[in-house]
Amino acid sequence: MSVRSKTNHKNNYVDPVGKSVVRIDGKGMVTGQTKYVFDVGFPNMLIGKMIRSPHAHARIISIDTSKAEKLPGVKAIITAKDTHNIKFGSNEYFFPHTIDQMAIEADKVRYVGDEIGAVAAVDEETADEAIRLIDIQYEILPAVTDVLEAMKPTAPRIHEALNNIAVILPVNFGNPERALKESDYVREDHFYMPAAHMAAMEPHVSIGQWEIFTNKVTLWSSSQAPFKCREALAKCLKMDLNDVRVIKLAVGGGFGGKLEMMPMDFATCVLSKKAGGMPVKICNDREEEFLSTRRKHGMHYRLKSGVKKDGTLMAITGEVIADGGAYCSYGPTVLAAAIMRIFMVYKIQHFRVSGYRVYTNTPISGAMRGFGGVQAGFAIESHMDLLAQGIGMDPVDFRLKNITTPNMWTINKMYLSTNGLKECIEKATAACDWQKKRGKEKHLCRGIGIGIAADVMGSKMYKSHESAGSIVKVEEDGSVYLFTGAADCGQGSNTALSQIACQELGISYSRIKCKSGDTETTPFDTGSFASRVTFISGNATILAARDAKRQILNVIAEEHKLNADDLDIRAEEVIYKKDGKILMDFDKAVELSYSFNYGRQIIGRGSYNPKTTPIDFRTGEGNVSGSYGFEAQIAQVEVNKETGEVTILQMWDAHDIGKAINPQSVEGQIEGSLVMGIGYTFLENLQFDKKGRPANGNFANYRLPRTMGMPPMNTILVETNDPEGPFGAKGMGEASLLPTSAAIANAIEDAIGVRIKELPITPAKIIKALKEKEGQEKNQAKN
Amino acid sequence: MPRTLKINNKEYQIDLTGHETLLEVLRNQLGLTGTKTACEESECGTCTVTINGKAILSCITLAASVEGDDILTIEGLSDVEKLHPIQQAFLDKGAVQCGFCIPGMIMSAKALLEQNPEPTREEIDYALDGNLCRCAGYIKIIEAIEEAGKIMKQGASKQPTPRKHSDISPEKITV
Repeated sequence: MSVRSKTNHKNNYVDPVGKSVVRIDGKGMVTGQTKYVFDVGFPNMLIGKMIRSPHAHARIISIDTSKAEKLPGVKAIITAKDTHNIKFGSNEYFFPHTIDQMAIEADKVRYVGDEIGAVAAVDEETADEAIRLIDIQYEILPAVTDVLEAMKPTAPRIHEALNNIAVILPVNFGNPERALKESDYVREDHFYMPAAHMAAMEPHVSIGQWEIFTNKVTLWSSSQAPFKCREALAKCLKMDLNDVRVIKLAVGGGFGGKLEMMPMDFATCVLSKKAGGMPVKICNDREEEFLSTRRKHGMHYRLKSGVKKDGTLMAITGEVIADGGAYCSYGPTVLAAAIMRIFMVYKIQHFRVSGYRVYTNTPISGAMRGFGGVQAGFAIESHMDLLAQGIGMDPVDFRLKNITTPNMWTINKMYLSTNGLKECIEKATAACDWQKKRGKEKHLCRGIGIGIAADVMGSKMYKSHESAGSIVKVEEDGSVYLFTGAADCGQGSNTALSQIACQELGISYSRIKCKSGDTETTPFDTGSFASRVTFISGNATILAARDAKRQILNVIAEEHKLNADDLDIRAEEVIYKKDGKILMDFDKAVELSYSFNYGRQIIGRGSYNPKTTPIDFRTGEGNVSGSYGFEAQIAQVEVNKETGEVTILQMWDAHDIGKAINPQSVEGQIEGSLVMGIGYTFLENLQFDKKGRPANGNFANYRLPRTMGMPPMNTILVETNDPEGPFGAKGMGEASLLPTSAAIANAIEDAIGVRIKELPITPAKIIKALKEKEGQEKNQAKN
Repeated sequence: MPRTLKINNKEYQIDLTGHETLLEVLRNQLGLTGTKTACEESECGTCTVTINGKAILSCITLAASVEGDDILTIEGLSDVEKLHPIQQAFLDKGAVQCGFCIPGMIMSAKALLEQNPEPTREEIDYALDGNLCRCAGYIKIIEAIEEAGKIMKQGASKQPTPRKHSDISPEKITV
C-alpha cells in the first residue's frame, strides 16, 4: 500500500505566486503558539548577564571576581582571559582594518555598555548580585561623544590610530568643479539626521550550550543572519564551522539590529563551557537594547550642487560625516551606501562626495533598515526640491528630467535593466492629483511633496559571494519540505519562498512546510538584509524546485519510455509540454518515484549567486546587485501654524517590485516602511548625555509611532517583471522607507513655505522656522 | 501563600510570595508564553491580557491582586478546532509580520470588540494606541479589527451566544 496525502490538494489548487496566501507561520503567531528564543527554556538552564562598562572611555586596570565567585548560585564568570581575544566585525572582506571589536573587551572600554565579561547563575537576581560583587578598577579616559568634536586632531583617540576617522571614502566622477561653473543655479545645504534605534519588539536573546566532551556548540539566537553569526562565533571560538550550530526560531523583528554576532551570543557559549555544559540564557532588557545593540548612524550631510535653467542636473558635491560610535560594525559599507545610492536614481556625470565614518564614545552604529539610504534620502531628496525651486521648476518635472532609465549603465557601472522609476512617479502623481494640489492649497496650510528612491537586492558587501542555498524535499506522500538558509525575521520570507517553490514544482501551496535558518540542517544563506531574500534566496529556491521536479519527471520518463524534456508539472498534474495533455497527477508521480522499482528520493538542490561585481571602493564602481528596485512616494500634509503640529493627511507609494509574489505581504512591507519613516521624521532621535549615556533609552522617552495619527496609505504596485528575478520579482523590504522624511519635509514647505533640514521635524522647529521667515519678510518689506 | 488564579477557564493553585507580576506567573510558572513583553514597564502593550473582559497590562499587574478574576490570555481565546474571528481576521488581512506584538494586539482588540463590535477608526486607534508594533502593520491590524467586528456581530445575531468562560465550571490545576 502506498502512502498518500490525507488532503486533497488538487481541488483547491490556485497558482501560488501572485496570490495573497495566508502566512505559512501565521496560525502559530495569532494563537501564541509560535516560539521565539525569548520563550524558550531548558532544564537546568542558567541565566546570564553581561558585565558592562559604566564609563564611556576607560582603561581596564583590573577585574576581581573572587567575591562574586563565592556567591551561592553563581555557576560561571567569564572575562577576556577566558577568550582567545580575537577581533570580529562585518566588513572584513572590503575593509579589513575595520575589524575592531572583541566579543569580550580586554584592555579598554569605549562606550557606556561595552561588554567586558559575563556571569551565569541560577537566577537573574543572583546574576545581578554577582555583577555587583565584581570589583573592576578603571583608569577613566577623556571621552568624546560628538562626532564633529571627535574628528578634531586634539580629540581623545578611541582606537589605536592617528585619529578617530575610521574610514575616509572619497567618491569622484567627472569634473564637478567645471560642471558647477557651467551651472545656472548652484546652492549649498546642510542636513542633519540623528541616530535612531531599531527597537525590534523581541529583544536580543541568546541561549548557548557547550557539549563538553564532543566540543560542540549550539546557539539559539534571535538572529536575522544565523550563518553570519556562526562565522563570527566560530572565528572567536577558534572552531570549525560544523562545530558551531546556530539556530534561529521565530524572530520578533530585526531591522538590521540582529545581523551580527553579539557579544552575548559568544558569552552564553563560553559561560556554558565554564559551567560544565549547562545551557545559559541571556536576554537583554529594554535598557540594554538601547544601550548596547546597534543603532542607525547619525549623519551630517552637506551638499553643493548645480543645475541648468532647463533642469539638467549638472553636478553634485558634498561631504558626509557619520557618527560611528565605538566600533565599526557595518559602518564602512553603510557610509558607502549613503553616498552611492544616488547613482541608481539620478543620471549624473559629475560627482564628488567624500564620506567620513568617525568613532565616538557612544553605542555602535550599524546597519539599520535602509542601510544609510534613509539619511541620504532625506538630504538628497530635500536638496533636489530646493534645486528645482531655485530654477522655478515643478519638483516632479525636475525629477522626470533627471532620473535613470531602463537598460542603462550608471556612471559607477551599475546596470539598471528593468527600471520602473518613471512609471512610479507618473502613477503616484496621477493617484494623488499632483497638478491640482501642488502649491494650490497654501490657504489651507496644506501641501504635497514627493520623494523618490532606489534600492539594491543584495550587494556582496559582507563577503565575496552572496550565495543562497535551498533544498526541496518531496516526501513519500507528496508533502513537501523547503529547507532554506534564509532567515525570516518577520517579513514573511518563509511564505514567499514556499510560494515560489510550489509554483515552480507545479503543486498546491497546501503541500509545503518550510524550515529556515538552522546552520546544521539548512543550506548556507547570508541572511535577511539588503532586501535580498526574495530575489537571491528566491532564485535558489526556484533552482531547487526545478531540480526536484526534474527528478520526478526522470522517473516518469523512464517508466513510460518518454523524454523528460517533453514533460512538465503544472497545477498538480504531470503534463506534456507541447499540448498540455495530462499524463498523471502529482500524487501518482510521487508514488511512482517511491515505488518498488524506483525508490528514488526526491531531493532537489539549488544554489544561486547573483551575477554581479562587488564595488571597488577605490573607484566606486561595481554592478552590486542583480536587479534594482525603484520607488516614488508622495505625502500630503496639513500644518497648524499656531502650534507647529503637522498632520499627514494621506500618503501614496508607487513601488517597482518586479512582481508581487504575495501582494498582501508586499503592501505590509510598504506600509511598515512608511510608518517607520514617519517615526524617523517626527519622533525618533536617540540622544546621549555628555558622559555617553543614552538620554532617552526606553519606550517612554524614545517615542515610536503608534496607531493614533497613522494616515491613509495608498500603495501602487508597479510590476516590471525583472528577467533575473524569481517569477520577475525584485527585493522591496527597504526602499519605501528611504524617501519618506523628504516627501514629508517637501510637503511641509509646499504648505507653509518653510524648509526643515534637521530631523526630527518637531513643532518647535516649525514655529522657529515660521518666525524666521516672518522676520525675513518684514526685513524685505522695509528694504 | 497558595492563591487561586482563574486563567483561560482553568483554576490554578499557585504559591505566590506576593511580588510576582501576572506576566511572570503566566510565562515562568505556567509556561503560557503566548503573552510577551518588550519593555516590562507598561509602554509596549505586548503583555496585554484581559481581566473580566478588560484589556490590562500583565507586566504591571500583581498576580495576587487578580485572584478570583476571569483572566484570559491568547492561549485561551479559541478552541482547538476553530480560530476566534479576531485571530482569523488577523490572518486573512495579512496583519501579522514578526508576530511578537500580535497576542497583545489581539487581546486589546478582543476587549474593544466585546464592548463595541462596530468601533469607528478613531475608536480602534485609541484602543490600540498602547500596543507597539515595529514592523508597523498598524494599517492591516486596524483593517483586521474592523473585519473581525463585522464577523463577530453577524455571528452574534445568527448563532446562540458563544459560551462565556464563566458559564462553564473551570478545570482545577495545582502548580
